[in-house]
Amino acid sequence: MKIATIAATVLLSLPILHAQDGEKAPIPLELPKPLFVGTPMEIKVPNLEPARDGERPDFLAPKGVVNLAAEKSVTSSDEYPVIGELEFITDGEKEGEEGYFVELGPGVQWIQVDLEKSLPLYAIVVWHFHSQARAYNDVIVQVSDDPEFKTGVTTLYNNDHDNSADLGEGKDPAYIDSFEGRIIDAKGTKARYVRCYSNGNTANDMNHYVEVEVWGLPEES
Amino acid sequence: MDTPENLFQRRDFIRLGLAAGSGLVFAPSILRAQRSTPSNDLNVALVGVGLQGRTLMEAMLTIPNVRIKAVCDIWEYSRTYGERYLQKNGHQATAYTDYQDMLEKEKDLDAVFVATPDFWHAPISNDCMKAGLAVYCEKMMSNTLEGAKSIVKTMKETGKLCQIGHQRRSNPRYIFALNRLIKEAKLLGRINHSFTSWNRAVTEDLGWPKKYEIPADVLKKYGYEDMFQFRNWRWFKALGGGPMSDLGAHQIDIINWFLGTIPSTVIAGGGVDYYTTHEWFDNVMAIFEYPTESGLVRGFSQVLTTTSSGGGYFEQFMGTEGTLKLAENPKWTQIFKEASPNWAQWEEKNYLRKLAAPAAEPSDTKVDSRETAALISYDIPIALDKPIHQPHIENFLLAVRGEAELNCPADEALESEFAIFKTNEAVEAKKMVTLDIAELAV
Repeated sequence: MKIATIAATVLLSLPILHAQDGEKAPIPLELPKPLFVGTPMEIKVPNLEPARDGERPDFLAPKGVVNLAAEKSVTSSDEYPVIGELEFITDGEKEGEEGYFVELGPGVQWIQVDLEKSLPLYAIVVWHFHSQARAYNDVIVQVSDDPEFKTGVTTLYNNDHDNSADLGEGKDPAYIDSFEGRIIDAKGTKARYVRCYSNGNTANDMNHYVEVEVWGLPEES
Repeated sequence: MDTPENLFQRRDFIRLGLAAGSGLVFAPSILRAQRSTPSNDLNVALVGVGLQGRTLMEAMLTIPNVRIKAVCDIWEYSRTYGERYLQKNGHQATAYTDYQDMLEKEKDLDAVFVATPDFWHAPISNDCMKAGLAVYCEKMMSNTLEGAKSIVKTMKETGKLCQIGHQRRSNPRYIFALNRLIKEAKLLGRINHSFTSWNRAVTEDLGWPKKYEIPADVLKKYGYEDMFQFRNWRWFKALGGGPMSDLGAHQIDIINWFLGTIPSTVIAGGGVDYYTTHEWFDNVMAIFEYPTESGLVRGFSQVLTTTSSGGGYFEQFMGTEGTLKLAENPKWTQIFKEASPNWAQWEEKNYLRKLAAPAAEPSDTKVDSRETAALISYDIPIALDKPIHQPHIENFLLAVRGEAELNCPADEALESEFAIFKTNEAVEAKKMVTLDIAELAV
């Protein structure tokens, strides 16, 4: 086995750590049942990450973190979704079936969760759509205290390899959505608003969200 | 040298007849143009806005001069989906619960796409043709042979076009493989066997959020016992045709089409061995005998719904000089050369592209000395750059405009689907079943 392979294997087997001090524990994610319907479509994305071998490592965050996004209000660039309601994104239901996702129109679209307070955030978990293997284009996750996202914006994830969303080129990998959701390290960034962008997916031009969770401590200590 | 683009010529689109000799040949007038709209636009409706209906809808959006004027579904969720999805894509579609209501009110339609559960295909298709419309009906034509035959009978009586959704028949790679590789270049030599396989991992039954439940009286009116049956109709014998019908039918259609005949017999096994909530088999394995002009071809087909079996779904033709493996996904498509033939001229003509040579066995690996050496493999330089259903829809719309013949008219589809009905019969009977073409007389 090559040294690089060994290093990658060791890294994969370790919990994902962030830069915060203090006692840490895995974020208590509750996952929906896996669901794949239909014949898988070919996924051609230049920056697609390789399939993971083995279980996803736990994501460690300060003990006591909760989902700050639960039942919080959601706004969107598309106020008239094709199906579903924006409230689905924070309602705690993560099933992959019909009736649990909101579908936004084609092109670059965003959803925004108002956490009501500016707090240090440790993880953002996004479930776009998981009843069919797809990769969403231009997944960009930003946080800010500015509801307009004009000032004080921190980009936590950006896999827009060709800047097609016009928010700057990103180096993060594209990935195939699954029932596990995508955990994005928020690195303790303090913010009130979370904004998630996408630009269609490998199956169609539309944008979908089943759930977004934002993990942080309920009050700043 | 020909380029891949030049290789796929317009004549490849010409319909390849299976109907001749079956007693189901129709007068050319049945395939004449049926346009009623004075402008160049075609007005169409979609009945059934579930997963398959949405797939057709998406594929239609990039076809010019098509206006989707109406969507119809008994589930408000899907109905709303269709209406809003189309609105975002520039189509003003009226939503209906009942297709007869739609037919009564939408007076300027040219064609209807039917993508409901199988047991509704025949009644809706028949009523639409009787209303003077061309029909694109998803496969299978019905969950019963009688239902499928009724579509052919209506097509014959009304003279309306009816395309069945065996979309591989319009896929340029499939057409190229049949016309260029098998018929012209004869790369496979004598075809002796076929093999099809389609396997899917275990899946949970489909659910639904309580807030989107269809009222019980509506479910009953449209033939469903409850919401569970509505969401999982594929597994109920009164509503669907089982896995060989859902998946295998696409593949058996390719075998029949390429061999130019239907099987004479089928012997099959299968059952409900895993799932506890399904009426239909969760696995079927069938052996067919095809009496072709070149001799008997024996084919094996399997559909498994409890394992992905390493992935992949494909149709394979095995001949004395080569083996052709085809799939809608290009990554599963390959053609393998036996040791003796020389395919250099076909490579030169760009009919094939040689892939990397097979890896040599490690020196310490012991193999049977009689084992055939690894074959050289090639890929086919024809790829589809559209959604997989789009060419079949385009062919249908061209036919409606009077500019093409259907690639899969209902009479040909009936012959192909006959094998599926008989496979299910063979599984139930646990014996070999003979296919008598006389049963298809309408």
